[in-house]
Formats: sequence, C-alpha cells, structure tokens
Amino acid sequence: MYKEEILILRVVVRFMMPFIQIYGCYIIVSGHLGPGGGFAGGTIVAASMILYALTFDVDRALDKVPHKHATMLESLGGIWFMSCGIVGLLLGGNFLANGQIGVPLGTPGRLLSGGLVPVIYFGVGIKVAMTIMSLYFSLVEEDR
Amino acid sequence: MLELLQGLANNYFYCYALVLFIIGFYTILSHSNLLKKLIGLNIMQTSVFLFFVALAYVKDGKAAIITGEEGALYTNPLPSALVLTGIVVTVSVTAFALVLLVKLYSYYGTLDADEITMLRGNPE
Amino acid sequence: MIILDLLLLNILVLCAIAAIRVRDLLSAVIIFSAYSLLMAIIWLQLGSPDVAITEAAVGAGVTTMLFIATISKTRRYE
Repeated sequence: MYKEEILILRVVVRFMMPFIQIYGCYIIVSGHLGPGGGFAGGTIVAASMILYALTFDVDRALDKVPHKHATMLESLGGIWFMSCGIVGLLLGGNFLANGQIGVPLGTPGRLLSGGLVPVIYFGVGIKVAMTIMSLYFSLVEEDR
Repeated sequence: MLELLQGLANNYFYCYALVLFIIGFYTILSHSNLLKKLIGLNIMQTSVFLFFVALAYVKDGKAAIITGEEGALYTNPLPSALVLTGIVVTVSVTAFALVLLVKLYSYYGTLDADEITMLRGNPE
Repeated sequence: MIILDLLLLNILVLCAIAAIRVRDLLSAVIIFSAYSLLMAIIWLQLGSPDVAITEAAVGAGVTTMLFIATISKTRRYE
C-alpha cells in the first residue's frame, strides 16, 4: 500500500520536473519584459530540486548537484554580478551603468532589449537557485 | 466622526493590514512555542508588505509594464521594489531562525520558551 | 471588484487566526502556506504582479518547505 503511493508520487514528480524548470528559466529570461526576474525564477528552479529531494532521497539529489558544485556556482553568480557592475566603472560611467556607456538598448518589448539587465538577471538567477538549494540541503542533512 | 469612518471605509486595505499586524504581534507576545512565534513574525512582515502595496495602488491603474500606450495610468513601481527587497530579508531571517531552532532542540530537547528558561535555571 | 477584495481579505484574517490557534504545528504551517497564496492573489489584484509572483514562489513554496524540514527534525505537537 505504502509502496504504491510512493510509486504514483515518483512518476508524477518525474513527469513534472522539466516543466517546472523550464518555467523557472522562462521567468529568469523574460524578467525585463514582465513580472518575474532573477530572484523569483531562481527560487522556482531551486523549488524543483527541493521537490526531487523530498520525493526521492536527499542523497540522490546531492548526487545531481553536489555541495562543491553548488558553492562554486553560487560564487560564480556573485562574481558575474560584480563584473557586470565594474564594466560600467571601467568605461567611465556609474556602477552598473547601462545606457550611459553606450550599451545598445533595443526597442522595448522585444526579448533582446534592456541592455545589461538580462545579463545581470542570469547571474542573479544562478546565485539564488544555488543558495536556496544549499539552505534546504544543509538544514536536512546536518547531523551526518 | 463621520468623516473618520468614511475615510476608514475608503481605505479598508490599511485597516486589514493593521488587524494582521496586531494578530502577529499578539502571537509573538503570548505564545510560548518558538515555532509559533516565528509564524507570527512572518504574519507581521507580510502585513507590512500589504500596507506598502496598498499605498502604491492607483485606482483603475494597470501594472507598471511598458506597453507603448499613450496616457495610461500605472501603479507606483517604487514600493514594489522595496517590498521585493523585504521578501528577500524575510526568507533569510526565517531560514536563519529555523537553523537556530534545530540547534536549540538538539541541546535542550524542547522548543517551549518557558521550559528552556526553567531548564537554564536561575542565575541567582 | 470590492466584493472580491473584501472576501479575500476576510479569508486572509481567518487564515491568520487559524494558523495561530491550531495546536498541531504541521497544520499551522500548511495554513500559513494558504495564507501566503491568498496574499499573492491580493497583490495581483492591487496591480503588483512582480511582488505577487515572488511571494507565491517564496512564501508558499520555499518557506513552507523549510518549516516542514524543521518540524521533521523536532517535534510535531506543541
């Protein structure tokens, strides 16, 4: 009885996971056009991995994304954000300067518009996803 | 008096935000369970965010997304940015407090604030 | 639109009172998750979809999971 319930849950979660992750990536990519952005999209991507860890096992989820890779990607997201800001300083503008240093802004409403904003949201999304994932994993498997 | 009641009825979102804030504050002061106190803290934070978002609302205004339409009414996007920062702070505070709760439980074996005070004893 | 707003706000206050009155901590956390989702719908009504989508992902999703992980490590009843 118990095993069959687990089976239904596992099949449904295995079916749902790619859709949740694609939705999270869509929110990250279209963050400068509508609601959403790096924080919300990264949280949704992390929630899909937490769903995997709840349904299967924490160890199997840690096989997919080990702690070492999560820490590395998290630091990489921070460095990405900082270097996007320092580019503005090097070219003679403010920190995180966008149109001021001549980045092409495009027409509003198209996907390739907004200058540096989608590039920054990409780094923010990676950092938030890895941070929330490691929060949950370190809370659950703390005594081992 | 009538003007005051009319003003309150026109701004009913503020009244509900105040009620939610009082519920959260009462929980923090009166419950002895630490996890319940944390839920009360979360309710307090969301009530403040509700107040901010209700401040930004413009009647018949649309969401602040550029559509190219001339002369359209938009809601104020500045409190939205503040509330987004506040939500990040909320989830960070909650995660840190939960880790502290797990540590407290493994040390004292209970999550009740009164029992923890009794277990620590009087410092004379 | 005012009727829908008042209905949602009253259910919100009921959820907040239920979340602090229930003795079972797991039920309290699930009711708090419903509270966050209702709050996200209200913010969508107030014209801030950016805040609403973040609250639906964070308040109803991640915070609930963190609370449940803590309850599985500690005890369930007060």
